[in-house]
Amino acid sequence: MNEIKLIIADDHELFRNGLAELLRKHDDIKIVKTVADGLEFIELMNNSFEADIVLLDITMPNMDGFQVLKELKNLASTIKPIVISMHNDGNYIAKCAKMGAYGYLLKNTDESELILAIRSVNNGKKYFSAEISEKMINFMSTQSISENVLSNKETEVLGLLSKGLTTKEIATKLFVSSRTIETHRANILKKLEVKNTAELIKKATKMNLI
Amino acid sequence: MHIKTLILIIINSLIALVIALLSFSSYKQFSSVLNDRILLQLNSIKTLKQNQIEHLLKSEWERFEASQLYTQSIDTTVIKLPDSIKTGTGIYDLTAYHVDKKTTIGFISTSKRGTMIKILDYNKIKQILLERTGMGDSGESYLVGEDFRMRSQSRFYPNKIPYTLFAKTKGAANAFKEINGRGVFKDYRGIDVYSVYSLITVKNLKLVILSEMDVDEVTMPLKELKERLLGLTLAIFLLAVMLSLFLIKIITNPIKNMQKSLKIMAEGDYNQTNEFIKNSSEITEMFEALANLKASLQGAVKFSDDIGKMNLNTNFKPKSANDMLGKSLLAMRDKLIEFRNNEENTRILSKRMLVNGMENERRRLSRELHDGIGPYLTSLKHYIENRVEDELQKTEMKKIVDATISEIRLMSNALMPASIDDFGIGVTLTNFIESLKKSTTVTIEYEDLTQQESSNITNHQAINLFRICQELINNSLKHAQAKNIRITLSEFDEFVSLFYFDDGIGFDINTVKLGLGIINIKERVAICNGTITINAIPGNTSFEIELPIEL
Repeated sequence: MNEIKLIIADDHELFRNGLAELLRKHDDIKIVKTVADGLEFIELMNNSFEADIVLLDITMPNMDGFQVLKELKNLASTIKPIVISMHNDGNYIAKCAKMGAYGYLLKNTDESELILAIRSVNNGKKYFSAEISEKMINFMSTQSISENVLSNKETEVLGLLSKGLTTKEIATKLFVSSRTIETHRANILKKLEVKNTAELIKKATKMNLI
Repeated sequence: MHIKTLILIIINSLIALVIALLSFSSYKQFSSVLNDRILLQLNSIKTLKQNQIEHLLKSEWERFEASQLYTQSIDTTVIKLPDSIKTGTGIYDLTAYHVDKKTTIGFISTSKRGTMIKILDYNKIKQILLERTGMGDSGESYLVGEDFRMRSQSRFYPNKIPYTLFAKTKGAANAFKEINGRGVFKDYRGIDVYSVYSLITVKNLKLVILSEMDVDEVTMPLKELKERLLGLTLAIFLLAVMLSLFLIKIITNPIKNMQKSLKIMAEGDYNQTNEFIKNSSEITEMFEALANLKASLQGAVKFSDDIGKMNLNTNFKPKSANDMLGKSLLAMRDKLIEFRNNEENTRILSKRMLVNGMENERRRLSRELHDGIGPYLTSLKHYIENRVEDELQKTEMKKIVDATISEIRLMSNALMPASIDDFGIGVTLTNFIESLKKSTTVTIEYEDLTQQESSNITNHQAINLFRICQELINNSLKHAQAKNIRITLSEFDEFVSLFYFDDGIGFDINTVKLGLGIINIKERVAICNGTITINAIPGNTSFEIELPIEL
């Protein structure tokens, strides 16, 4: 059985040592290098240092985890990064997943889960625990990035406008200020290149926006 | 001296002078005309009588000479002629020889044939002299002898013998010196008379005839004129005084009113609204000018009052290019606006620096906890994992460490979420509210409408928006008894709008406790140059906060 060659990238020596000691108990995992920041790690990669997995901290001096992930993508490296962070917010997880992390672990993850994650990733799988996945999905569900000309909110405002609601009524309904609705309306008019609400409704109907 | 008195004196002394001059000159004129007239009249009377007497004497003398009656037809008991006279020839004044001193004129002719003597009938002369037509009540013509005794009856002493009346007057004296003339002087009675006199010389008889009239009578009309003139003068003067008083009233009343107004204004009161009688265009203009001045001063006063109260948006227009007061006030206002703006800027700046300092400190603490303590705790966990043999103990210890890490994470997030720096306000609020949902039954819905990739919200604004939300949510949960909270953060090209709503009990903006942090929120909005609108209606409390996007 091949050893899993592991690099630990974290700015806290104590943590690196603790983690190394934890992993040393497992014969299939070999820590080949520990680095204190992202820059040091990228230099290793540039020098074609051989390793399978990197346990990557996000908050590091010189170059943080996000930048490292970006660099790795550019380098077309084969090393598989697992982010190990103190941050347990969905946005951090989602961002890392999006940037090519193979897994996301909290620093206080139990040993068993850590090992499981390393082995899963080494087998070519991605590892996100149920808890981490939930956080990520929760976060992503609040993000409303629209592929259409109009944003989701603008589409909503347009729909209410077409029903003949006044700015004030729409504002109350959508829990925003009147000026916000006015600005949305102005932006919609601009995006659809029309001059007034009547024209807007006509064009929106034609475009099947409402 | 009051202007009233001054005008009164000037006008009336002028009028008095004119009247006096007019009266005096007309009186003089009249008086001299009267003088001339009366003297002329007297002269003509005198001349007439002189001629009559001379004629009488001459004709009587001729008749006497022609009579050749050498009789001394005289009453020797009455006239005692001295012999010396009887030897002469001529007409003699024989009054002195009359026993009773009756006026006696005698003709005496002495020739070889004897002496003729005839006494002229005095009545003939008397008739001439008593003819007093045109002589008034006091006029008379009389004769005076060389001894300055009267020879004809006095009008005033009809019972006295003329010879006893002594008339050595200026006229008589002049006449005997053969100076014929006229004049005003005292007559034999010692009374001023107009007198015309001349010497009558027939043969050797010398008599002076005087026609005289009392000055008093002559000047009677003059006196009347004088009185009338005086009365007229007085009347005109009184009228003038009254008219000038009236005139003065017309002129001085507005001046006095003006004076009163100016006095009041000088004391600094520009609000008097007295109405004045304006009786001429100049006065009207003057009062209009005063009213303008007053209005301008009132404007200036009101303006300075406003400035004093720091109402610096008050507008004011100087009355003209020369309105120094107005211009200085405007300059003062502009300076004050500048000062206030500077002060406001300084205040906001210092507040901003204070808040920034505080936030930086929080950030440092948060990082310290998160990145400093956190890793130690994880290391501790690793140590436990590696070194603790007793499985039960190990699990227990790991639980404690995990709980501590969780707590640290919460504290760190509360102090300053790292997300703000890494992901911006939109995501940070999402996380914050997600984490809150676990600990409350209140429904919190948050809508993040910020730009995901290229947000223009500054870190400074982000932190303040986060703090404002923290404060608002805290208020809703602690005080408002709200069931629902709705938060929308919308980012536009020009501004970012935070809309916060809850259905709690609301509050009174004016009496709300400082503890609710509304002041804090307002301060944070102010240091971001933003605006805030609060509607604290029970069941529908909303905050609209708008910050400008400053690129």
